[in-house]
Amino acid sequence: MHKFDYVKARSLEEALRALSQGGEKACALAGGTDLLVGFRAEDARLRHIELVVDIGDLTELAYIREENGCVALGALTTHAAIAESSLIRVAAPFLATACSQVGSPQIRNRGTVGGNLCNASPAADTLPVLVALEAEVVLRSLGGERRVPVSRFVEGPHRTGLRPGELVTEVRFNRPLPGSRTCFIKLGRRKAMSIARLSIAVLLRTGDGGVVEEIRLVPGAALPVPARVTAAEEILRGQGLTVELAREAGEKLAQEMVRITGQRWSTPYKVPAIAALTRRAILTAGGLEDVATRSQA
Amino acid sequence: MGVVSRPVPRVDAYEKVTGRAKFAADLYFPGMLYGKVLRSPHAHARIVKIDVSRAREVPGVHCVLTAADLPAARSWFTYLFLAEDEVRYTGDAVAMVAAEDPDAAEEALKAIEVVYEPLPGVFTIEEALEPGALQVQDYAPGNIVRNSHWPVRRGNVEEGFARSDVIIEREYRTPFIEHAYIEPEATVAVPDPVDGSVTVYGSVQNPYMTRRYVAAALGTALGKVRIIQQTLGGSFGGKEEVMGLMCGRAAVMAVKTGRPVKMVNTREESFVESAKRHPFRLRYKIGATREGRIMAFEAELVDEGGAYNSQAQFMNWRACVHSAGCYEIPNVKVDVYAVHTNNVYGGAMRGYSSPQVIFGQESLMDELAEALGMDPVELRRKNALRFGSVTITGQKLDDQPVNVLAVMERVLEEADYFNRREEYTRQREKGGPRRRGIGMAVSYRGCGLGAETADATGGLVSVQEDGSVIIRSGLTDNGQGLSTSHAQIVAEELGIPLSKVVYQRVDTSTMPDGGMTVASRGTYTGGRAMLLAARKVKEIIFRGAAELLSCRPEELASSDGLIFCSSDPSKKVSFEEAVRHCLFRGETLTQLGWVVPPELPWDRPTGQGKAFPTYMYSCVVAEVEVDTETGQVEVLRVTAGHDVGRAINPALAAGQIYGGIVMGMGMALMEEVELHKGVILNPNFDSYTIPTSLDMPEMKPLLLESEDPVGPFHAKSLGEPAMECVAAAIVNAVAHATGRRVRSLPANLEKVLLGKTLARS
Repeated sequence: MHKFDYVKARSLEEALRALSQGGEKACALAGGTDLLVGFRAEDARLRHIELVVDIGDLTELAYIREENGCVALGALTTHAAIAESSLIRVAAPFLATACSQVGSPQIRNRGTVGGNLCNASPAADTLPVLVALEAEVVLRSLGGERRVPVSRFVEGPHRTGLRPGELVTEVRFNRPLPGSRTCFIKLGRRKAMSIARLSIAVLLRTGDGGVVEEIRLVPGAALPVPARVTAAEEILRGQGLTVELAREAGEKLAQEMVRITGQRWSTPYKVPAIAALTRRAILTAGGLEDVATRSQA
Repeated sequence: MGVVSRPVPRVDAYEKVTGRAKFAADLYFPGMLYGKVLRSPHAHARIVKIDVSRAREVPGVHCVLTAADLPAARSWFTYLFLAEDEVRYTGDAVAMVAAEDPDAAEEALKAIEVVYEPLPGVFTIEEALEPGALQVQDYAPGNIVRNSHWPVRRGNVEEGFARSDVIIEREYRTPFIEHAYIEPEATVAVPDPVDGSVTVYGSVQNPYMTRRYVAAALGTALGKVRIIQQTLGGSFGGKEEVMGLMCGRAAVMAVKTGRPVKMVNTREESFVESAKRHPFRLRYKIGATREGRIMAFEAELVDEGGAYNSQAQFMNWRACVHSAGCYEIPNVKVDVYAVHTNNVYGGAMRGYSSPQVIFGQESLMDELAEALGMDPVELRRKNALRFGSVTITGQKLDDQPVNVLAVMERVLEEADYFNRREEYTRQREKGGPRRRGIGMAVSYRGCGLGAETADATGGLVSVQEDGSVIIRSGLTDNGQGLSTSHAQIVAEELGIPLSKVVYQRVDTSTMPDGGMTVASRGTYTGGRAMLLAARKVKEIIFRGAAELLSCRPEELASSDGLIFCSSDPSKKVSFEEAVRHCLFRGETLTQLGWVVPPELPWDRPTGQGKAFPTYMYSCVVAEVEVDTETGQVEVLRVTAGHDVGRAINPALAAGQIYGGIVMGMGMALMEEVELHKGVILNPNFDSYTIPTSLDMPEMKPLLLESEDPVGPFHAKSLGEPAMECVAAAIVNAVAHATGRRVRSLPANLEKVLLGKTLARS
């Protein structure tokens, strides 16, 4: 079993000081649903860790609020809290949906949005949504504060731009413009305790006459880093939404996935599946009846 | 009936739901050490050198042992306590340590230096069967598991095919499947400082089998080893070999150190070293007349035994008996055999080959129906076994009810099968990505061990002076509810309240070896032994009561703690009073009931004989919705009917059916131990997926009763049948929904969408 020193921070200041002292060999512990599993599995990515700073008691980092059109989530906000938040359900319903599908009730009650970001799993449920929201990560250290877009913060599978001594304290995004509609679909091997095989986050806003003014398409478990697939978005932008265009956008997104990741063992499956999920999510967000989103009965 | 046939609460419910039940990992003894095992990272390698000297220096370590330190390195059926010079799969252990705490034991393992010379291995059935393939075990030429070949020869298949209008050939596959019991393996071995004997507490399914392993490991007599079963968190056939090895290792270290030694597997260790459901390659040729009468059935069923095997030689017998399903077929040629590979070993798992075999054979029936242009139910109706039919193994079924059709028709009706089949077929033709389907499967299963091995066992009933009754069985409660069903049987027979009966767990030194708790024989065979013991005691008590009531014993009856004269119930005496009367006279009210196995002749070269005294019958209908754009399958509804003879406890029987449906659903849709060169890629439940509560369908269990001539109060087997045709029914439903058949389990996202396997490499 991995051995490390443990500090329970009683204030943000104390946490930042401990992280600063620990430098590269320190990491923060929030819900522990990834970190402790990693320690138990003797994960090579954690081998260098000698100090764990438990920030679990910093209740000041657990909040969901809106200020001047900007929605801010404290890093310690749990998936359960986000899923249940009336603010999120109205402002960014697909974030609530994504959080409601993380793991199990136990994991949702412990796991945090900050932790999900820092773990940076390609299959993370919140990441595609946060990228679609063009969210920013707020990073604090003894030296001050900086803000980085989620799309740049995540640098690769399980790799982030978190610097030694830094702590993610908040994730924030501008409330989508009125008229925006969203959809998140997760595909797993079962209905709970499921790691996404694929997911798709869609944010869509149509203007007068049903013309698509804004479209953001972010697949999950498809790319090494969650990112908008602009080539697929362009098919829809400025057009009136139709089933045919949604299908085209889905297929384009699948092609882009292959272009970026190359052929893998799972590619023959993922290509048709992500194309279908993307089409469905676009049509659902666009309020168009899609025969596939309903069951037969 | 006063107690039997009632859904009384389980006798162990209270201790379990209040958390008071003690599992083996909950036990602590003064001075207890913690044992750990070092396993091979290679599927096949020569051990060049093991250096344990640094491990012995780790503070808190009491012993570090290798094969050279053991009285015997090999156990029953060649499994290794510790490997001597060669490892044959990644579960093989090379060294073990006992230390004062688990951390010290872990540290010591890391300090052991092993030099391996990796060797090539065989990892599939095809590789194992290749001419000139590497021999996994030198005693198994051609990699055929010793004694695992079981043929059936009946009629003449060539003639049968010549008289067939339609002939199809198919191959189906099933993977390694993990039992996934909630409690990983655990044991504590406690040495006796005086006489050198050892007492082993453990999560064991079969204490007498475990005792054989422990005695072999210690090189001591069976009588000096005492195995006490702890409350078990599930087993399903799994806690057999792995527990024998674990208990043997713990016992050796306990005797060596003079301290109790506890061993508890992590989930990963459990995955790596515990048995799995044998994968099968099922090849068939079947022929029928245009009218749907099956004329010939030919099958080659090959299962993968892995590096060691102590089950295929028994299990494949059951596979040969049930290979053609519950149908009457005049011409049959079947060969079942197992091969060794350098993968984890196959073992017993709920159904003991039947779920795999039924998946192949009931898929084949649907495919034959399709080739004939016939409704699959109609094809089954035409060929089903009936009263007086002769099975493929030559048994005339004229001494028991034969309920294939009765069960099938009832389940089809309850499931509204025909209306839904028609409706979903119509909807499918309309197109659309989400499609519904309904499918079914029928099966029959021989109750108990049959001609496989002597189906003998014992039950002990001991009435105390206050009227309370201790019962002991040689068979175990593995969570399936044996303690409750046995207590109900005894309470019913003696006419006393269930609360008077006290079940005591198996202790190998207090009961004769009654064989293994397998083959769904806990109630069917074990319950019969209990009933026999209760009858013996009752006879003595009734004699005493007759004296007190001045009547003849034959006139007496008992219920609810009273013994009374049938013709005049006012003439009565309490059960306790009658008991005291007998005991004061010096009678013993402790009696052993022993089930003597029936004679069941078997001709091995032809596979003809009397396989089982009686059979139970099952039918499962499954409804699914398939997302044809993602391959996702949702099981909507499962209706499962079983001819159980009599449900001793209808609530527990229904529980078996619910559990069987969910387990069968996992097998159908998601469960598969993924292996690469013998290394298990998904050794925990994040990546080895089993159904969750949210995946469960609407379930409708039907307990259909009949007059079985053998079982206690007519009860037959249910534990295994409850899951055995579920996967077949679900896969048949998927084929109905999509028009495309998945012939290799599991029918996961990739296979349902693409029709082929995508493997992680």
